[in-house]
Amino acid sequence: MDNLSELLHGFTIAVTVPHLLLMAIGVLLGILVGVLPGLGAPNGVSLLLPLTFGMQPVSAIILLSSMYWGALFGGSVTSILFNIPGEPSSVATTFDGYPMARDGRPTTALATAFGSAAFGALIGVILITFLASWVAQVALAFGPPEYFAVYFLAFASFVGMGGAAPIKTVVALAIGFAIAAIGIDTVSGSVRLTMGVDELVKGVNFVVAVMGLFGIGELLVAVEEEFHARAVSSKIDWREVFRAVGRLPRHSVALLRSAAIGCWMGITPGGPTAASFMSYGIARRFSRRGRYFGTGEVEGIISPETADHAAGTSALLPMLSLGIPGSATAAVMMGGLMIWGLNPGPMLFVDQKDFVWGLIASMYVGNIVAVVLVLLTVPVFAALMRIPFVVIAPLIVIICVVGAYSVSNSYLDVVMMLGFGVVGYLFKKLFYPLAPLVLAIVIGDKAEDAFRQSMLLSKGSLGIFFANKLVTCLIVGGIALLLLPLVLQLTRLGRKPAPSANETTAQEKVII
Amino acid sequence: MISRRALELATAILTGGFGVAVVVQSLDNGIGWSSAGVDAGTFPFLTGIIVVLGSLYNLVRGLVPAASLANVPIAITPLELRRLAGLFVPAAIFVAAIPLLGMYLASAGYVFAVLAIPRHQSLPRALAMAAATALALYVVFERMFQVSLPHGALAAALGF
Repeated sequence: MDNLSELLHGFTIAVTVPHLLLMAIGVLLGILVGVLPGLGAPNGVSLLLPLTFGMQPVSAIILLSSMYWGALFGGSVTSILFNIPGEPSSVATTFDGYPMARDGRPTTALATAFGSAAFGALIGVILITFLASWVAQVALAFGPPEYFAVYFLAFASFVGMGGAAPIKTVVALAIGFAIAAIGIDTVSGSVRLTMGVDELVKGVNFVVAVMGLFGIGELLVAVEEEFHARAVSSKIDWREVFRAVGRLPRHSVALLRSAAIGCWMGITPGGPTAASFMSYGIARRFSRRGRYFGTGEVEGIISPETADHAAGTSALLPMLSLGIPGSATAAVMMGGLMIWGLNPGPMLFVDQKDFVWGLIASMYVGNIVAVVLVLLTVPVFAALMRIPFVVIAPLIVIICVVGAYSVSNSYLDVVMMLGFGVVGYLFKKLFYPLAPLVLAIVIGDKAEDAFRQSMLLSKGSLGIFFANKLVTCLIVGGIALLLLPLVLQLTRLGRKPAPSANETTAQEKVII
Repeated sequence: MISRRALELATAILTGGFGVAVVVQSLDNGIGWSSAGVDAGTFPFLTGIIVVLGSLYNLVRGLVPAASLANVPIAITPLELRRLAGLFVPAAIFVAAIPLLGMYLASAGYVFAVLAIPRHQSLPRALAMAAATALALYVVFERMFQVSLPHGALAAALGF
């Protein structure tokens, strides 16, 4: 068991006083952004990113990933206590969590949510522990065509399974690629797409894009509606916490099923939001008490929470082992990895063992820290919800402006960030997905390089993508995913002429 | 009031315009195959074409009143538009003021303006929060992380 000894070594890195302290800070900041509407895990992680440039990569990733766990937990707090999902991925938790809290059982609802969330995260981390290094080993044998095929598959699965309108996903992806291409071309050294602005030679940093898209964009969406925080009591009864967690094993079927859904959706870029909805829907269909769902059912909290966290955690698996992030937050973290001078992908497991296993070990510890801290701080953060939005909004704007500036000390970046904010607002409003856009900005260059290197190998023949079984499978799988929405639409048209649009709009609303 | 259709059209034109710009610019780098392999402009050219085609599709979808669009005819109500402007306009002024005033003065002024002018907070409290913001920025960035934020033309003229 090589992995286990590596993991133990990882624990010696993760469980040190400074790192535990960083975890606590990360988790608390994470809960903060999770609780505040208009800020989520991707914004939080990107806002914190400029502060990590001077840190050791291990410390930096521990801080960022802890923030991610905190944000996932924090989103559930507001869902349950205020019926306001702090994160898109905790929308499904409001369906049963809020009714249960309103009925006078807020502690039960919170403890059930945190308990099942921790279980989902644990399954996700175990999956990473045992699978990630194996996947990385397979990937070490990859050449440029295989890499391009894997990237292609990742992009195609956004189109085929992302849930947003396929053509809008394609447009978002292609815009991301074009933005990634701005600046000096890494292969030929020529300057591309500067649109006559000399300063664009340095390219568009993804942090600038992310700050605008998620930070300002989300803020503009949030300011449209006024939030009325009407909290149910946020007092925690500790005995009830243990009783609620003790009752969880009774729902082991729901727990395991939701964890499986979550892991699958996390590794394929379905993301936590889709995972939690899917898990809730399946639980409602298969549970014996399915018709009571929506009135405060325990399984109605367990299912979305477990899947949400399992997906959030396992989204880091493809990021670490292949260099392809499974969610928007993972994409931001991967951008961070590149800025810290690491090369995400299979070589991490060879060159940066301390980093990888320190991170994986920190996931175990970080989630425990997160559960404890979130339980301890529920009343504090519940009180935070009463700070008026008009006070928080300008602070977020300033953080975005300073963050965008500090990436490369450029005023142009600040202006571009604001522009990305408008784009983010429009995209969010019209259900263009943001995750593929960010993903393409982060790994667009690598995908292009892989493509051009393959072409050099084959002297311009596309046949190289069908040269061996592995590449052919990946490419054919990608094409199948690209065509999936088209096929679905055709079969639907064939069956009945008028498809019901109500369902899609309801689900459209929560897709990032 | 802005209709969903108008917003869809505007966004499709925006993305399409970006796509056209990318296509035109990438022609400068050459597209196709040369002795050095795939030319630098090829990949951006293809993505630009995809953006243009996708935007055209979205444009047509926006024009034809499909079932899903009919459900939400109004995308932004006048009240929402006012709230949006209330956040965005001060933020844009703040960004525009940075080269002249520098990050510290501009951010303090921004916080003060958005809190005091619509009377969300009392004058002294808004003033205190503005000062605290600038001070926190200075301590965190200039001192702790040694990132120099812009001091502005005004500070330079005064000799800082």
